[in-house]
Amino acid sequence: MNKVTKHILFSFGLFLCFGFVVLKNKKLLFEYPEYWPIPHYDFSKLSMSENEFQLGRHLFYDPILSRDNTISCASCHTQATGFAHVDHELSHGIDGRIGKRNSMTIMNLAWNTSFMWDGGVNHIELQALAPISSENEMDASLEQVVDKLNASEKYRTLFYNVHNDSIITGQRTLLAITQFVVMLTTSNSKYDKHIRKEVGGEFTEQEKNGLSIFRNKCASCHTEPLFTNNQFENNGLKIDPTLNDFGRQLVTNNPEDSLKFKVPTLRNIQFTKPYMHDGRFETLQEVINHYTSDVQHSNTVSEVLKNNIKLTHREKVDLLVFLRTLTDKEFLFDKRFTFPLKNKQPIKS
Amino acid sequence: MKHMQSKSMNLYFFMAMFIFSFQLVFSQKNTEKLIVNIVPIFNGESILKDTWYVTQSKDSIQLSKLKFYLTNFVLIDKESSTDTIKKQQLIDVFKKKTLSIELSDIIYTNNYVLNFDIGVDEKFNTSGANAGDLDPINGMFWSWQSGYINFKIEGKSPSCTTRKNKFQFHIGGYQKPNATIRTLAFNLASIKEKTLTINLDAYPFFKSIHLDSQNQVMIPGKEANSVANLLPKMFSIHE
Repeated sequence: MNKVTKHILFSFGLFLCFGFVVLKNKKLLFEYPEYWPIPHYDFSKLSMSENEFQLGRHLFYDPILSRDNTISCASCHTQATGFAHVDHELSHGIDGRIGKRNSMTIMNLAWNTSFMWDGGVNHIELQALAPISSENEMDASLEQVVDKLNASEKYRTLFYNVHNDSIITGQRTLLAITQFVVMLTTSNSKYDKHIRKEVGGEFTEQEKNGLSIFRNKCASCHTEPLFTNNQFENNGLKIDPTLNDFGRQLVTNNPEDSLKFKVPTLRNIQFTKPYMHDGRFETLQEVINHYTSDVQHSNTVSEVLKNNIKLTHREKVDLLVFLRTLTDKEFLFDKRFTFPLKNKQPIKS
Repeated sequence: MKHMQSKSMNLYFFMAMFIFSFQLVFSQKNTEKLIVNIVPIFNGESILKDTWYVTQSKDSIQLSKLKFYLTNFVLIDKESSTDTIKKQQLIDVFKKKTLSIELSDIIYTNNYVLNFDIGVDEKFNTSGANAGDLDPINGMFWSWQSGYINFKIEGKSPSCTTRKNKFQFHIGGYQKPNATIRTLAFNLASIKEKTLTINLDAYPFFKSIHLDSQNQVMIPGKEANSVANLLPKMFSIHE
């Protein structure tokens, strides 16, 4: 046997060993711009496979997660609005019950260090537990959900495709949801193209001016490139006496955290209305006016808001124009993130 | 020629490694098992569902739930060297098969003390969705504020003015200064037949709890921390 034949046989053997594995469950790559920070999330528990992503996508859009099969994650997290709940101050869940906060966006979560407006959830894999068990949202328990999934042939098959067995556990369910939501990366807005000096990223004078105002007045909390510093701040909103929501203090029991809420990302903010933890502002104009003239002073108000932010009318307009460059239509209309069609099953094993 | 030599060297090396690892797997190590059995009692009586017990402060109670984690088993010998056995077990007093903990790969040389924790340590509280007994499906994980419930005891008592006369103690929290994990130590010198039998007595828990005034702890914090101090008092060697 000459050398060449040996090599061919060896490669063929290797292909036999590994070739099918690759075909069976396509691997996912987690991609993001090279100048971004390294993600906070450690991906090691995920299979990073197309099948797990598709399973997570089915779960995200399936009301099976709620007590009476009426509410899915997507009920309050709509793709076209950055996975926020457009036009709802406070999100409503099961039986039409109203929650006490505005649903957050789901974007670039791999970089988040904590979850929910008060940071009560410490890990992305556990985030879904909160809406599943909240009595105003899905009002179920992970145990009930897993029982329903185990009784479903569709899900037994989908889980089999990921794990090579059809055992459905709480952990596997949470990891599948994580596999989907962690892939929701938005990094192709006009702003991003501008930073990368790509075609389509040419800023007008107004947008350039808006960016420089933003960097001077807003970026200490809404830090680029993720547009959040992952911290909790009191941004000087008046207390809503119908909610009396003291934010992070409810989790930490620390008076220094009174009225502090998670600094949200501003990506796709053009479409994520209404704004603030209780959705009190309908428009971005109202948001900017709050920061320039309506900040309530208290012991815990953010350092940078102790003096009202000063902006001329023209600067406000430029800032608004800049904020629109954070819209990433490729993300908002990415077909991979939409409702999974019935006939479009994930890759079969 | 030189090339050939290094090739056969490689082959010998791999063969040696193969034989070595084979031996490693099948060699007779002196490892054995240690069984830890938990016997749930209330002041000497067995704990059963729908059965009335009287606490030291004269509250009549029935227990409906008694679940807790035992983790981080560490064997310490007389020379103070330690052997840690990775195991987290959720004990459910009303599920018999959870009451026996099997620790394998024990080296019985000079083991002197067995340490273990009541509760789940910080590492698992911050590492996302875990499997097995730590799977959040077991109802021992808080959803609105991430963290394990280390110890859960529920029941009813006419002394409680709560809905359905219920009392609920969900003791958890991993962050200092109110971390609720507690460590126990048991001397192994006198154990018989490689089995350590431990009483879990609910009586001492209610010794300093007056159910008319204290009947619910459901969040981490100072109160949970002080209730956690009662937990080690519930465990003792079965005589």
